[in-house]
Amino acid sequence: MDPRQDPHELPEPHQNPQSPPSEPSGNGSGGWVAPGSTPDTPEAPGPATPPPGHHGPAAGPGHWWPTTPAPPGSPTFAEPAEPEGGAFRSWWGEDPAGPGPPFGVETARRLSPRTLVVGPIIQIRGLLLPIAAGLVVGGFNPWILTATLFAVLGLLIGGFVTWKTFRYEIGEERLEIRSGLIRRSRRTIPLERVRGVDVTSTLLHRVLGVAVVRIEAASGAAGATEDGKLDAVDAAEAERLRTVLLHRKAVLSGRSEEATTTGEEGATSVAATTSAGTDTSGSVTAPEDDTVTYFRMPRTWYLFGALSVGHLVTPFVLLATLFGMVQQSAGQMATDFLVDWVTSTDRGFLVVFAAVSVGVLVLLMPVFAVVSYALTHWGFALRGRDGSLVAERGLFTRRSVTLERRRIRGYELRDNPLERTRRAVRLRAIVTGLGDTANRAVLLPIGPRPKVEEVVDRALDLFRGRLTRHPRAALYRRLTRAVLPFVVVAGAALYLDLTWPAIVAGALALLGVPLAVDRYRSLGHGYDGERVSVRSGSLQRGQATVERSAVIGWTWTQTLFQRRSGLADLQVTVGAGAGGYTAQDASLGESVDFAGRITPEMVRPFLMDDEGPRADTT
Amino acid sequence: MAFGALFNLALVSAAAWALGNFSWSLVPTWAHENAWILPSVYVVYALLKIAIVPSWRYRVHRWEVNEDVIYTRAGWISRAWQLVPVNRLQTVDHTQGWLERIFDVATLQVRTASYAGSSTIEGLDAEEARRLSEELAVRAGTLRDDAT
Repeated sequence: MDPRQDPHELPEPHQNPQSPPSEPSGNGSGGWVAPGSTPDTPEAPGPATPPPGHHGPAAGPGHWWPTTPAPPGSPTFAEPAEPEGGAFRSWWGEDPAGPGPPFGVETARRLSPRTLVVGPIIQIRGLLLPIAAGLVVGGFNPWILTATLFAVLGLLIGGFVTWKTFRYEIGEERLEIRSGLIRRSRRTIPLERVRGVDVTSTLLHRVLGVAVVRIEAASGAAGATEDGKLDAVDAAEAERLRTVLLHRKAVLSGRSEEATTTGEEGATSVAATTSAGTDTSGSVTAPEDDTVTYFRMPRTWYLFGALSVGHLVTPFVLLATLFGMVQQSAGQMATDFLVDWVTSTDRGFLVVFAAVSVGVLVLLMPVFAVVSYALTHWGFALRGRDGSLVAERGLFTRRSVTLERRRIRGYELRDNPLERTRRAVRLRAIVTGLGDTANRAVLLPIGPRPKVEEVVDRALDLFRGRLTRHPRAALYRRLTRAVLPFVVVAGAALYLDLTWPAIVAGALALLGVPLAVDRYRSLGHGYDGERVSVRSGSLQRGQATVERSAVIGWTWTQTLFQRRSGLADLQVTVGAGAGGYTAQDASLGESVDFAGRITPEMVRPFLMDDEGPRADTT
Repeated sequence: MAFGALFNLALVSAAAWALGNFSWSLVPTWAHENAWILPSVYVVYALLKIAIVPSWRYRVHRWEVNEDVIYTRAGWISRAWQLVPVNRLQTVDHTQGWLERIFDVATLQVRTASYAGSSTIEGLDAEEARRLSEELAVRAGTLRDDAT
């Protein structure tokens, strides 16, 4: 059993050495029901008046946990309990004869007290509109007022309880997070398993100088993750946590995998071990700064936001949200008002008004796009440190994502036709076991291809090979797939004498031709000796490049139509990113050859006479 | 498959019966009168499918396990060839449904870190499936690296 669980399960020793608390001991942690969660519970002595001794930190020692942190440098209950003699082990650090704290052990820490302000505000924000609407509609009815007051009080007290009971602690080999008053929870994350540390701070957080730290850790199951969330700590503490966690992690994995860790990464972590190991001050020292900055956002790059479809539609999204909010809060009144206005106003004016507003919206689209893009990508920076890549961005909500280098299997370059006109691409990392890749795997903002490739070359490894084009038959297949359905629909519509559907389908069929040609032109696959690259798509073209060693299998699929023209889809299986990247409509023989060149040990045994894997057909 | 076909047949017959007995106005009359065609067409189709598909699949499906790689071929109209290296295996599942138990066959499923890298071998001889799954599990354990 983990020796460090002992102190937690024996709360009594906390109280024994100190002055006995005013409450009856033994239920020091569960003496009263959390008023925050159940403000109306009869047993609770009124939510507005918590029991005496609850609020003042003076009653802190021996209450739940020591409120005052133990003297620095002394062994606290964080230290692994050695089986030493004596009935009562001093959890308070009053034993100077005890051995000095092992390297890396620090005292349990609390969230920033400013969480007391941030937490409730964020929680209330979601309820603000309903509450306001309720107040207005209810005509400031005293009952509703009281209920609102109680709800707000409940939130405040809940926030206080959370803060009071939340502890985290970086041990020598694990991070421990304890929380909860009634339902205690305790989460232990081995530092070796830490995969990344994300720091996010909204505008409110930044005003108060705090940040939310999310620690992502691999759990036993493949692909599943187990997160620890510290909401919220001081900004400086967040930075320290990130550095320390990643550094400890690098040291630990360096120690256990010295054989496999390669190159400078291993060297730095070993060096760091020795330098930190000699430190006897008792706290985890920040490793020396080996940060490399790969990229800093130039001003002109914000303009590329106008090329992003997602940001181009922002005005409409904003409008929709606005309507939704009005609908929600004022509901019937707003609708009635709108209907009244539309019916009572002059028709011509309405048409002009609608045309003008749509025109303005369309004209404003690029402006809005750039603004919203700049908000989310402000000051984008990509740095490398301690075997990780750190991407940081955002104006109001600042977010920094840390990706461990060891887990990056490759990268993906994506662009849409709009971006291709300016030769711009976006860069994403292909990372094992990463959720929310759309946001978290982003390594660079949209930027011109040569610059992006230069950064890739420095931060990761650039694919230098050429892509092999796919056979001509692939073009015909692309054409058939893009055009044929619409031709069929158009034909049917003509047959049934439906003019409009026929015209629409015909136009779509015509549009399908350039699309199909472009889709064909983007097809390709290549190998440069170390990396495999596969490209496909038109409206959302993506070129995925992964290391040779990351290829964990191959799948060929062939439909009846493909068989006639000797084509097949080759899927490169990768235990990262999307899981597999497909080279569509490659020639079967050539693709088998391709796979054979990349992983001969995997493919060769099944080949017969230089033919495809189908060669062993009976 | 035969059971699935029976179930579908029941569904289709019910639909046809409903069509023939209730005179919904939106359904044209010729459909009312010829409702029986639907299930009979389905019966012919299902019989053909039952007669042809299994033997076809049997002819196409192949699997082979050498020292390092599992190779499978599956499908009937479309085909898929898959290579899964043993040292990247994460789990080996060996399952046997009630129907499979009657015929003493089993299904073997191997999974890797990628959803796309999972491979299924159906209709293995039960004894062989058991032996194979144990062997693969042991070998995956000894050869195992990071598995991603």
